[in-house]
Amino acid sequence: MQQLLSLIGHHGYILVFVIVLAEALGLPVPAAVALVAGGAAAASGVLSVYRILLLALLAMVIGDTLLFVAGRYMGWGLLGFLCKLSVNPETCILRSAESFYKRGKATLLFAKFIPGINTMAPPLAGSMKMPLDTFFRHDVVGATLYATVYIAVGFLFRDFLVSVMRGFQTAGRAVEAVTVFALIGYALYRVWLYRKHAVYRVVPRIQVEEVTRRLASEDKDKILLMDVRSHGYYDAEAARIKGSIRIEPNNLKDELKNIPKDKDIFVYCT
Amino acid sequence: MLREEGFNAFVIVGGLAAWRKAGNPLEPVPRDDLVKLPTFS
Repeated sequence: MQQLLSLIGHHGYILVFVIVLAEALGLPVPAAVALVAGGAAAASGVLSVYRILLLALLAMVIGDTLLFVAGRYMGWGLLGFLCKLSVNPETCILRSAESFYKRGKATLLFAKFIPGINTMAPPLAGSMKMPLDTFFRHDVVGATLYATVYIAVGFLFRDFLVSVMRGFQTAGRAVEAVTVFALIGYALYRVWLYRKHAVYRVVPRIQVEEVTRRLASEDKDKILLMDVRSHGYYDAEAARIKGSIRIEPNNLKDELKNIPKDKDIFVYCT
Repeated sequence: MLREEGFNAFVIVGGLAAWRKAGNPLEPVPRDDLVKLPTFS
């Protein structure tokens, strides 16, 4: 924090702009701290509070709009990618989409204050085809709220910044400890999952060339191509292997009742 | 699970991406199979 204050004293505007833009693009940098430091510098007369606010807004809106456009072009693939980390990707996609559909506009207003959500909200709005002007209006209000709160904290509590700094350092250490424990817990969970499903490693594999060769032979009637993707079906332009059938991976037991056992099944996902 | 249920199942190496890369034929996903997620449009 002390180094950041000193840097902001020297490179002020450009530093605040770059840090806030980086956070808006999803990089793990302390934009809130930069805004507080900028507010404190403004209270000291080193920087202009209006310019700091304007640059912070500009940086956030640029970053968020880029993520919004990325979400628009990537479609549901983006949400599918992010949900791969969850326990149940299919449920994660459906619940996230429904939740954002119900509360998306309000989410945009307060997303900046919630780590993780701040990066997720703009691309999700893009994926869900929120009109650009609606997104822009809500994003500007949310960004203004975020920047104003933190700049005001720095501006009003300049004299108490030392104690605030200590608070940040203490909070930072606590967050580090929690993060480390969470990462260890997650790694252990993945190891447990890997060991639990170790049997799947022995499932035979087949190369694409071999599949095409068999499909071109007299064997073709003894083959069943099975699409088991969980998130490949949300985009209207989604494609699949010609002649394959869709099997819902989360409902496999019921789905298998209609599958003949006398055929070789070639399973694929993305 | 397929194997456990007695199916002779194989996994296509590389999945749809490898199939597409090899230039093999694709088809659009049938409308009825598409899962409709809510959109703002």
